[in-house]
Amino acid sequence: MTDPLTDDRTSTSPLLAAIAGAWTVAGFQLRRLLTRPRLAMAAVGALFPAAVIVAADRASRGRLEGDPTVGMLYALIPEAVCMLGLLVTMCPAVADELERGTWVHLAVRPGGRRALLIGTYLAAVVWTSVVALVATVLALAVARVEDPWAVGRMLAALVLVSCVGRAALFAVPAVIMPKRALVASVGVALVVEYLAGFIPAIVNQATVSLRLRSLLVPWMGWDRKLPIEMQLLIDPQPPWVQLLAVGILAVVLLTAAVVILDRRQFPPSDEI
Amino acid sequence: MIEIRGLTKLYGSVIGVNDITVDLAAGAHGLLGPNGAGKTTFLGLVTGQLRPTMGSVRVFGERPFGNPRVLRRIGFCPAADLGDRTATPLQWVTYLTRLSGFTAASAATRAARVLEEVGLTDAARRPLVTLSKGMRQRAKLAGAMAHDPDLLVLDEPFIGLDPVARHHLVELVRAWAETRSLIVASHLLHEVEALDAGLAVILGGRLVASGTAAEIRGLAESLPAEVRVRCDAPRHFAAIACETPGVEAVRLEGDAVVVVVTRHPAAVIEQAVPRAAHEGVGVRELVPADRSLEGVFGSLVRLHRGVKA
Repeated sequence: MTDPLTDDRTSTSPLLAAIAGAWTVAGFQLRRLLTRPRLAMAAVGALFPAAVIVAADRASRGRLEGDPTVGMLYALIPEAVCMLGLLVTMCPAVADELERGTWVHLAVRPGGRRALLIGTYLAAVVWTSVVALVATVLALAVARVEDPWAVGRMLAALVLVSCVGRAALFAVPAVIMPKRALVASVGVALVVEYLAGFIPAIVNQATVSLRLRSLLVPWMGWDRKLPIEMQLLIDPQPPWVQLLAVGILAVVLLTAAVVILDRRQFPPSDEI
Repeated sequence: MIEIRGLTKLYGSVIGVNDITVDLAAGAHGLLGPNGAGKTTFLGLVTGQLRPTMGSVRVFGERPFGNPRVLRRIGFCPAADLGDRTATPLQWVTYLTRLSGFTAASAATRAARVLEEVGLTDAARRPLVTLSKGMRQRAKLAGAMAHDPDLLVLDEPFIGLDPVARHHLVELVRAWAETRSLIVASHLLHEVEALDAGLAVILGGRLVASGTAAEIRGLAESLPAEVRVRCDAPRHFAAIACETPGVEAVRLEGDAVVVVVTRHPAAVIEQAVPRAAHEGVGVRELVPADRSLEGVFGSLVRLHRGVKA
C-alpha cells in the first residue's frame, strides 16, 4: 500500500454516498440470492399460484373463471407470494450478516449500516417482484379471465405496491429483533396486515392490505357492485392516494428502521 | 490518535471493559490478553461498533460510533471467520472497498492490488468456501487494508495461518506500521512481539499494564517471581531461603520441590543455593523465574486471577 489513491472516492456528499452504498449492497445481495437453493425456492414460489389455479379449476369441474379467478390470483400473488418472498429476503437482513460474521465488516464502513438496510430492501423488492411477476405470467397462462393483459398489468402493479410497502414493514422487526425477525414478521403480517387491515377504522389506514384492496376494487370495476358492508373494507379515495399512502408508509417505516439500526449494538458474542 | 478516558462497556450485568484510561499515539500497538479479557470489546469501541456505557473514546479527535469521518480512516479485520462463502475474495474486497466510498472500477483495482500484497492473487477468483482458513484470513485482511486507512485494527489476525503465511503477514503488517498506525489484538505474546509494537495488557476488562516492551519488562522487576528448586532436603532449603534477603514467600510442592517467591531471583541463586550446598543439601535442579515477556504476561494473568505468583 505504498501508492495510496486518495482522489477516487465517489463523493463526499452523504446523500450520494448513501445511494452508492445502497446500490452496492443491493447488487451484492442479489448475487447472493443466485444460489441453487434460493432459485429452487423462487421456482416453487413462481409455480405455486398456477398450480393452485389448476387444482381449483379441476375441483370446480372447469367452472372457475372470471372475477372469482381474479380474486384468487390477487390472494395468491400480491398477497401470498409477495408476503412469503419478502419474509425470506427482507427479514434476515441483519440476522444473516450476524450469522455469516459479515456484520462487523459492514458496521465499520462509513454509512455501512444504512447501506445494508436500504440495499437489502431494494434487493428484496427486486427479487420478490420478479418471482411474483413470473408467477403472474404462469398463473395467467392457465387461468380463465376475460382480459389477461389487463389483469396481468393490474396484478403487476399490485405486486410492486405490495413489495414496496411490505418490505419496509418487515424491515422494522429485522432491525429490532434480528434473531427472531422471521417469527416477529409473521406476527406483524397477521396482526397488522390481516387483523388491523380489516378493521374499518383509522388503524387500517396504515396497512398495505387496505391499499391493495382499495386499488384492486376500482381497477376491476367491482366498486359499483360491492355490497355496502364490503365497502367498509376499502378506502374510496382515488388510486393515486393509495399509491401515495403506500409510498409514505414505506418511507416512514424505512426511516424508523434506519434510525434503529444506526443505534444498534451487537456484542461480539452475537456474531457467529 | 486514540484518547480513552474511564472507558467502561457493560453488556447487561456482564463487564466488557472496565474503567480503562489510556492514550495511544500514532504507531503500532499490541493489545494482549487471554481469551475473554475484553480485547474484542475494546476494539469494538475503538472502531465504532459499540458505544461506551461510561467514559469516552476518541479516535482522531472524534467519537467513532456512527461517525463516517472516523470510520473512513479505520480498517478493521475481525477475529471471526468469514461466513460469506459464495463470494470470491476479489468480489468481497471490492464490495467492502466500494462501501468505503470508492467507484466500482477504483474499488476493483484496489482489491486486486491488495490481494496481490497479501499473496492471494491466484485464489482471488475462487469462492471463499473453497479456500483454507488461512486464505480467508488473508482475504479479511485485504478487505481491511484496501481503502488505505490511517489506522488498521486487527483482532487475532494470525489465527489459522501456517508459519510461512504468518511470517509473510507479520512482514506485511510491520511494513504497514512504518507509515501508518496499527493495533493488533492477540492472546499470543510472541505474535505481537514480532511486530515491534507498544504493548497494552488487558485482563478481565481492565488495562493492567501498558508501555514499550522494555517498560513491560521493567514491570517484571517489580513483580514477585518464582524460583523452583528441586533438592534432596526441601525443608532445609526452605529454611535457608527464608533467611535470604528479598524472599517474600516459600512453599513446598511435593516431596522434593521448593518454590521461592521473590522480587530478586538472583539473590536466591547467588546466596541460598551456595549456602545450601555448603550445609550438605543437594540441589538437583533450579528453574529461574521467567523474565521474558511471556513470563511477565503469565505473571500478570496469575496476579489478576488472584493466584499468588
